[in-house]
Amino acid sequence: MSGQYHRPHRWAWWTERPGYMRFMVRELTSVFMAGYLVVFVMTLASVGGGEAAFAEWIAALGTPAWMAAHVVALIAAVWHAVTFFGAVPQAMPVFLGERRLPGPVAQIVMGYGPWLTVSAVIVWWVVR
Amino acid sequence: MANNGKITLEIFRYHPETDSEPRYQSYEVPYNEDWVVLDAINWIKDHIDGTVTHRWSCRMGVCGSCGMMVNGEPKLTCAAFLKDYHPRAVKVEPLVNFPVERDLVVAMDGFMDKLDAVKPYIIRDDVNDTSEGEYRQSPAELARYKQFSMCINCMLCYAACPVVGHEEEFLGPAALALGHRYNKDSRDEGQSERMEVMLSDEAMWGCTFVGECSVVCPKHVDPAGAIQQAKAMGAQEYFKGFVMPRGAGE
Amino acid sequence: MSAGGGSGPGGGGPARRSGEAFWWALFSGGGVMAALFVPAFVVVTGFLLPAGDAAVVAERAAAFAQAVGWWPVKVALLGVITLSLFHCMHRIRHLLMDVGLRRYAGALKLPCYGAALAASLWAAWVLWGI
Repeated sequence: MSGQYHRPHRWAWWTERPGYMRFMVRELTSVFMAGYLVVFVMTLASVGGGEAAFAEWIAALGTPAWMAAHVVALIAAVWHAVTFFGAVPQAMPVFLGERRLPGPVAQIVMGYGPWLTVSAVIVWWVVR
Repeated sequence: MANNGKITLEIFRYHPETDSEPRYQSYEVPYNEDWVVLDAINWIKDHIDGTVTHRWSCRMGVCGSCGMMVNGEPKLTCAAFLKDYHPRAVKVEPLVNFPVERDLVVAMDGFMDKLDAVKPYIIRDDVNDTSEGEYRQSPAELARYKQFSMCINCMLCYAACPVVGHEEEFLGPAALALGHRYNKDSRDEGQSERMEVMLSDEAMWGCTFVGECSVVCPKHVDPAGAIQQAKAMGAQEYFKGFVMPRGAGE
Repeated sequence: MSAGGGSGPGGGGPARRSGEAFWWALFSGGGVMAALFVPAFVVVTGFLLPAGDAAVVAERAAAFAQAVGWWPVKVALLGVITLSLFHCMHRIRHLLMDVGLRRYAGALKLPCYGAALAASLWAAWVLWGI
């Protein structure tokens, strides 16, 4: 149809609304998590390399640069979990008859609760 | 602009017969606390400039005709009060992500095609004779989809969705929520028919759950939630397709 | 280019069933796995293992090595790592599409999912060797 005006593409659309920027931050957590997973497999590989190799790798992880990298990875992983479980009521509504399970209850039962339980078990295993 | 009982509206103007590019025109209108942006635009059209073109009808947030960008935010102009902007000027533009027909009026053809594509009506394998009465539904069954049936097709969600702006194939928030509404309706038997359309490459999977569609929705339909639920149903349907080829089941 | 513009997907023959459903299922399952496990993994390998005096480090290292040496744990780890990697690479692919590489939607599949698969195979090989 001639005569219609088509606005130009907005390549920097993600700067236009705070919600868009929150979206970008949420999506970017996956970059840091992917990086961490590679480091995690390297840690597992050092376990396979024997006690000396594992001890050497652990010593390397204690350096400030690796510590700083893990601070970033932790923030990204926690933010991923918070946003992922935060979306549970929207993505997986639970109905009890006519009533919908309230959002915070669904988040705790199907998200934050299992998350904290799993995390506690893993951490307990190593520090016990 | 001082508080002198006036407020300025900057209106996006585009007349295809004379303009090759849009321009902005400022109008000063009386400031009235009870007025919404739509009242101000109507006042301009009645008293200053009859050539300003805009869509509106019910003035009470039901018809979904008066959606525009108000200071960059997709809004029903009948529900955007001047007092929330005064004394600053109010910039009014047509909804983004749509071609502009004239001034504040956008072309809806593509949107209508997308609504049509999800078959937003009850599909039955066997249609009962009216003498057999209505298809009955319990309040619990109604609750499964009621929220998604509140859509008034105002298209604010399309203006808030970055994927709509970039991906032509993407059906968009309102159409997908409506498709999901019928898939969740206990009286409906058309899910696999609808899924044929929704499961194609970017029709639904283009959604990356930015979530702003649900933020701007004036009827709290939560299209973002509907789409995530539809994706989960779609994935089930997809895997079922390997076990049970189409036509054999359902 | 816009909601009102193109022909839209309505008409024509039956739409092609897309593999996107498969990638989305991996993405979705991986999102759950990553959310449940990865924060705790980071705490363990990033902070609990390397921090502390030698005796504590040795004790924790032994507990960690013991855990990852068990077959059920290895299988679970492989599942978590693989799904989480596909989750991340799916998100990265769609992020690239959203910021302007949409026309390479198909071409991006190989590097993104290929990287996830390669890293998963590497993880499987590493876990096998423990």
